[in-house]
Amino acid sequence: MVKRVLAIVFILIIGLWMAKALDQVPFGEDRMLVGKYYLEHVKEETGAVNAVTAVVVNYRGFDTLGEVTVLFIASTGVAALLWKKRKERSAKTEGSVVLTTGARILLPFIMLFGAYIFIHGHLTPGGGFPGGATIATAFLFLYLTFTLYEVDHKTFEPLEGLAGIGYVTVGLIGLAVGGYFLFDWIWQTWGVGKENIGRLLSAGFIPIIYTLIGIKVGTELTGIIDNMIKEPEEGGQ
Amino acid sequence: MSQYASLLIALPLFSAFLIPILKKVGKNLVMPFLVLTTLIQTGIAAWVFNEVYTSGEPIIIMAGGFKPPVGINLYIGYFAALFILIVAVASFLMAVFSIKAVKVEPQDKYAMLFLLLMLGATGMIATGDIFNLFVFMEITAISAYALTAYNKTGKASEAALKYVVLGGIGSSFFLVGVALIYGSLGTLNMAHIAQLASIVNPTVAKAGLALLIFGLAVEAELFPLNAWAPDAYQEAPHPITAVFSAFVVKASLYAIGRILYILSASEGWNSVLSLLIIMGTLTVVIGELSALRQTNVKRMIAYSSIAQVGLIAVGIALGTQKGLDASIFQMFNHAIVKVLMFLAVGYAALELGGPEMENFKGLGKRMPITAFGITLGAIAIIGIPLFNVFWSKMQLIMAALEAEKTGVVALILGASLVEMVYYVRLIHTIWFQGDGDKIRENSALALVMLLLITFIILIGIYPQPFWNIMQKAGSDVFNVAEYIKNVPLVGVSS
Repeated sequence: MVKRVLAIVFILIIGLWMAKALDQVPFGEDRMLVGKYYLEHVKEETGAVNAVTAVVVNYRGFDTLGEVTVLFIASTGVAALLWKKRKERSAKTEGSVVLTTGARILLPFIMLFGAYIFIHGHLTPGGGFPGGATIATAFLFLYLTFTLYEVDHKTFEPLEGLAGIGYVTVGLIGLAVGGYFLFDWIWQTWGVGKENIGRLLSAGFIPIIYTLIGIKVGTELTGIIDNMIKEPEEGGQ
Repeated sequence: MSQYASLLIALPLFSAFLIPILKKVGKNLVMPFLVLTTLIQTGIAAWVFNEVYTSGEPIIIMAGGFKPPVGINLYIGYFAALFILIVAVASFLMAVFSIKAVKVEPQDKYAMLFLLLMLGATGMIATGDIFNLFVFMEITAISAYALTAYNKTGKASEAALKYVVLGGIGSSFFLVGVALIYGSLGTLNMAHIAQLASIVNPTVAKAGLALLIFGLAVEAELFPLNAWAPDAYQEAPHPITAVFSAFVVKASLYAIGRILYILSASEGWNSVLSLLIIMGTLTVVIGELSALRQTNVKRMIAYSSIAQVGLIAVGIALGTQKGLDASIFQMFNHAIVKVLMFLAVGYAALELGGPEMENFKGLGKRMPITAFGITLGAIAIIGIPLFNVFWSKMQLIMAALEAEKTGVVALILGASLVEMVYYVRLIHTIWFQGDGDKIRENSALALVMLLLITFIILIGIYPQPFWNIMQKAGSDVFNVAEYIKNVPLVGVSS
């Protein structure tokens, strides 16, 4: 009881202290020191209509590369910690017919929608991370509905690596062509789709990178699900 | 040409992503590939180091070709060039050690996480953007969580769980701090923040700085957020322990220093300095006193490492150029000595079946080179003349005297005294107790140890050239005006 009261008092003090600091950052006022630059230059410099995408992939692409890496580490870490030579699914009962049939019908729709999200990252809200997560949801669906379902590890793990390599390679080509790592060579050097702003074939390397991220995120989250849903077989090491 | 220094980030990433594909080709390729990659990284780091120190100009990498503060820039100045080299060399040596030390499956995952840990530390040291610092800190932290639990024993999982919970809380603090600073200034670039530091609201600056330092303190092992460290050091695979102490801590300490000094023009800065001095002092006291009563050698050295970190933090918080120089010298020396000690202790533990003090009896007769490595490392860390740490502790004391902080002087001397007690006990156990058959020592590891020993003695006898480098590195952090001038900020006016 004393502990709880102390904790509440302590949290209140911290909260008060932070509120005092937050009070000095007035809400709704113009804080667009760098933000204004993004809004004013986003179309001509990146070709993207979606400013968030342009900031995330172009201006601050380094952070996105880092975030992709964080996810890669999470998936690798889970795989390293749950590693066993032989593993099997722990599910014992098959789902009802309604569930399995429903899954069969819905599956292509979810996949298609996920792909739609990451391909249209530069035009509509979304991008590689939500798109990839949607695709992973489709796989989660399969895992939860069918007792025997398992992804093909022989293709999944290399695919994950390849998508990552693809991202770094696009960046390295930028270094070779434009002189800067992660330089948007398709837009700034080649000028592909300059008259096409607002349509699918525009925005330089954003669709390419988002497709790679989508594949990567999709495979990684699926890998985490796969690792977590299985149990070591009897006698397996 | 200098943009090619971005390979320091691209190479470890590329290699880590390549490993799942490489594994399909042949499982035995993974560990040699790890050694090769870290070797190439060392080569690039050496080139960058040479470039920066001969030209005297920092390398500014502009990711995507956008000028800061619109894009993210990396700033490889004197400090970053030096420590990126240390990170690369330590990674290379520990990659060699990993071949011998890491037999637990799956090795390919180990290699990936190891490379990404190196990448994270490199990025933290190089970055010039405060949110990018957060991203690299997360890369470092999350790969460290996974590597701590890598041995998959109950204790290792417990250690990793503590680390994850504390690290998660620390990261959220950091992120709130970043949000506060962005909210009041509207920029994330460090040089730009430094430029605006004099007009930032003092309450916001103080709260933001304190939050950022608290967030980084988890990784930097400062009291009261270092409870995870002894357990993690004890349970992590031996090469990883060495890496933690050699550069993961150092990267976070540097980040604390950098963030602290870019806001040095703001009001209320001095109160943050005293906060850091208090944290550092408590870290030293608690670390040393805990080391005194350990029976597990690895844990003992872990506590000693934490105490050294406290000394470095106190030096950073002195608020003078001299204190920073001395701290950086101490960081540099500590990295070398602790790599040697954790390598030797880890290797002995592998051969003897555990790092308990019992097993170390008679080590001097059984594994002379390893025992020599531990002994020399211990003597060096206490701060005995003719070894490297003597000079850095000396400089720390002098800097503290100059800043008129006599308490800090007493702290450093007292800490050395306590260190003496437990290290002499360890040396006594190794050389004057027990007996046993001689064990043939691995020649590659013996070579690495001898190399590090030579280096320790070399710095001990000729400290001046190294001290010159440290002073340059210190001015890189301290001289904020120079830092702002070097970053080509594009005119974004309010």
